[in-house]
Amino acid sequence: MAAPTAPTALDRGPAPVRKPAAARGGRRRPRLAAWIFAGPAAALFALFFAYPLGASLLQSFTSEDAGTTRWVGLDQYRRMFDDPAFLKSLFNTGVILAIQVPVMIGLGLALAVLLNQSWLRFRGTWRAVYFLPAVTTLVAYAVVFQVLLKTDGGLVNQILGALGAGPVDWLNSPTWARVSLIASLTWRWTGYNAVILLAGLQAIGKEQYEAASIDGAGTVTTYLRVILPQLRPVVLFCVITSTIGTLQLFDENYVLTRGGPDDATLTPVVYLYKVGFQQLDFGYAAAIAWVVVALIAAISALQYLVFGRERRR
Amino acid sequence: MTPLTPAPARVHPARRAGRCLVRLLLALGAVVSLVPFLWMAIAATHSTPELFRSPPPFLPGGRLLDNLVRLQDTIGFGRVLLNSVGIAVVHTALSSLISAMCGYGLAKYRFRGRGLLLGAVLMTMMIPFQVLLVPLFQMMASVGWIDSYQAVILPFLANSFGILLMRQGFVDFPDELLESARVDGSGELRTFYQVVLPCVRPQLGALVIFTFMTQWNSFIWPLLMLNTEDKYTVPVALNTLTGLSRVDYSGLMLGSLLATLPLMALFLFFQRQFVAGLLGGAVKG
Amino acid sequence: MSTRPTRRAVLATGLAATASPLLSGCAMGGVGGGGRAPEIDGKADDKGGKVSGKITVWSWDVAAKAMKRLAGDFEQRHPGTTVDVVDIGYDNAYDKITIGLRGGTGLADVLTVEGTHMPRYIANFPAGFYDLMSLGGRYGGDFERAAWHTVTGPGGKLFALPWDIGPCALYYRTDHFRAAGVDPRSLLTWDDYVKAGIRIKKATGHKLIIQDPADKDAGIFPMLLQQQGQHYFKGGRVAVDTPAAVKALTLMKALGDEGLVAYERGWDGLVTGTKEGKAATTPTAAWWTGTLTSEMPELKGRFGVVPLPGFTADSIRTSNVGGSTLAVPAQSKNPRLAWAFIEFLLTRKDNQISMLKREGLFPAYLPALDDPHLSERQDYFDGQRTLDVFARLARNIPPVEYDKDDAKAADIMISAVTGVMLHGRDPRRALGSAAGQLARATGRKRAE
Repeated sequence: MAAPTAPTALDRGPAPVRKPAAARGGRRRPRLAAWIFAGPAAALFALFFAYPLGASLLQSFTSEDAGTTRWVGLDQYRRMFDDPAFLKSLFNTGVILAIQVPVMIGLGLALAVLLNQSWLRFRGTWRAVYFLPAVTTLVAYAVVFQVLLKTDGGLVNQILGALGAGPVDWLNSPTWARVSLIASLTWRWTGYNAVILLAGLQAIGKEQYEAASIDGAGTVTTYLRVILPQLRPVVLFCVITSTIGTLQLFDENYVLTRGGPDDATLTPVVYLYKVGFQQLDFGYAAAIAWVVVALIAAISALQYLVFGRERRR
Repeated sequence: MTPLTPAPARVHPARRAGRCLVRLLLALGAVVSLVPFLWMAIAATHSTPELFRSPPPFLPGGRLLDNLVRLQDTIGFGRVLLNSVGIAVVHTALSSLISAMCGYGLAKYRFRGRGLLLGAVLMTMMIPFQVLLVPLFQMMASVGWIDSYQAVILPFLANSFGILLMRQGFVDFPDELLESARVDGSGELRTFYQVVLPCVRPQLGALVIFTFMTQWNSFIWPLLMLNTEDKYTVPVALNTLTGLSRVDYSGLMLGSLLATLPLMALFLFFQRQFVAGLLGGAVKG
Repeated sequence: MSTRPTRRAVLATGLAATASPLLSGCAMGGVGGGGRAPEIDGKADDKGGKVSGKITVWSWDVAAKAMKRLAGDFEQRHPGTTVDVVDIGYDNAYDKITIGLRGGTGLADVLTVEGTHMPRYIANFPAGFYDLMSLGGRYGGDFERAAWHTVTGPGGKLFALPWDIGPCALYYRTDHFRAAGVDPRSLLTWDDYVKAGIRIKKATGHKLIIQDPADKDAGIFPMLLQQQGQHYFKGGRVAVDTPAAVKALTLMKALGDEGLVAYERGWDGLVTGTKEGKAATTPTAAWWTGTLTSEMPELKGRFGVVPLPGFTADSIRTSNVGGSTLAVPAQSKNPRLAWAFIEFLLTRKDNQISMLKREGLFPAYLPALDDPHLSERQDYFDGQRTLDVFARLARNIPPVEYDKDDAKAADIMISAVTGVMLHGRDPRRALGSAAGQLARATGRKRAE
């Protein structure tokens, strides 16, 4: 899933430059200095991203066969509409967005509230423990979950067996594979979100808590009525980054199930990887990538408009 | 951490029960979080055939040293660990500096192309990087950089997340201070290093940790770039333990565990900056 | 598996000028741009041509181990040469090869490529490899013909030399068969096989076969197809709903319906399940012996090998699973040395036998199969001459046509096979709709 973007960059809106330099009446800020600061990064972007991005965009309008390239206009984009695998990957993404993201954010929020109790000791250690899954290398993640979720003799099924349930075919049945993916995503990223949400909770001044408790509100009421509404920007940040992460989902489902069984855990990016690197259909892969870009832009903008209107400050 | 409510002298019984419940829930969550790591640690002390027993082993075994020796023999673990450290340190230092400078430029200067740069930074976070691999590879090849460390490090030095994070930190920096530094005759760069940068330490800390983690775990790009076993990074080297019909699971587990430990330590030591920085330095914990 | 590199970013097109030479250079064509496979100039190594310099070889797993071992011998015989063998790991080897072929640079001088992967590379990068025909064509008769078929392309070109093959037979648990009173040699047809499975299950409680219909090959489906002389395409047409395909999938469904299949996930599932004795048989290739001896030494004496059951009593009793080849990419700067090394490794009996003995690589080079080593009794198999079983079968592997769109087909076939085995769909109908889907996805016609 995605790395975080800076939350405040998103929740405060674009480009809050204070005042034009001239209006400030101070010395004119040398334009040269701006380029000294932004220059290295800008040059690196120009060098290493402008060309790959341009090339992939061009490529999405082409088709290759036996080493020759043809311009095919929008054909690659049209193909997606009746490609059952691609449509299924979109559906799967929708399922994860509708189920996994809310569950994960909800759990993360609950965890953050628990960790925010003033009397709790060793908070740093708790936080590190919950953050740990997010720093696991993917190699380890892959092997550990394969072993935990094995149908026969896997740890999860052994525990279920001891409780008189199961065994469940975690990675072979399409439905259960989806459940497994959702569970393992939640395992990996809940703590990460909780840590960010906790930081948001702690940023809210203690006067707020005190004021609420003087008004006679209990802990639960305080959180529901006073604290959570103030946390909105941070929650929005978590929702948007998780959404981008879901739309770009590759790592977890690729290592767990390769997108199977029966494409039940296929996502657009795993699909474009298969199309490009395995089926050598680079034009189609590029087209899928740009559709993913469009989707992310549209959904992020929508979430921002719907949930981000009432901004703090 | 600042106590959010003053700790009362005596704890009410009902409240005490509530606290027990909170601790219980936290402990339960921690177990779920940790079990895979525990199993990894246990697996690292067994041979691969032992791991395939049914039920799989739940207690530590006696093969830790064997596995360590084999890891060193087959993939030169010490060497690739050094490679990883070197690459991650150089990449993190350069990338953090470049991102901080760019973030500052974007926050405090107005120049032509600024809006475009910002928009583009946001947009790039959206493209699946898999589709950029082939053209990027061609570029590296055309300058003869395949199998070099600079090819691993350079392309991803400019990092949009870092730039946005740092920009946000700098936006809140009071312009008046900058003006007074200018009046004192301090150069723009000097002002940046001596006055501004020390004030955004939390963001910088978060950026450093995050960049290091990402580079440390990065796999596909180093795999595509590096063609000499002596130059491999840890994830690339561990990948060779997976063969066509033979996987060295205990080696994989031990190697992954050893590769995760530095990150755990890093987070444990710097988590305060990390968390504070991610949220724009608003946290005073 | 992959972790993403750091976040990427882009800058406005205003600065793209820096990269424009690159853009005009290769944005559209990648490598190859049509063209033909070049030939290697100069005389062959053993005809007085002298080789020198350095080459790099990419491989993985035991194959890399074998080459690292023999590279030293080669260097001694050819002073002034260096052969650097690099283990690139199997999991992402083809990512590296694909990107190198597409980028037109960055590849090693010798590549290990599984036979099934060659056609898509040949089709997409026709100028990506050296044509070895003038140098290696004379060995045509010495290599197992199905393997030879996978490395030859249109126009009589030779894109690689076959290395190892995976002749198939039926590994069975001697104790399970004995307990059920089933004679493994009586399994002449797959019908016999199913019936025996029912008896074994009744008598011992063990299932017959471990399958993962969702793995990258859709279980034993392709093996059963090749046994009947076809793969997913025939003459360039979609052939996944032919009578042979229906027979294969019907058999798999019968195994599932009778409760004879232990569903285990992937390679690990197969290894663990076998180790635990979940299934009485494993129909697979000769290299499985290596897994048995290394992963489950405690089961020594419990296994035997018989030819695969046939679809009729007198039909072919083997197939092929796996096997790799060695190719020289056209970007190699020292193709002569690359060829000399390949020739040294693959066309000498002694080297082939040492790789069979030490790394379990079953040679595609037929003269090696006459070596006395192949008729030795195998301790692990309670004294059975198992290598001999495979050596006899190897000469009968039906050649099949692999296609550049096999990867696409495999994806679709996995859905069809899982649909039948896990959701009880009808084989004929599942294959029919898969064929339609594949025809649409590839723009091909369907075979009659």
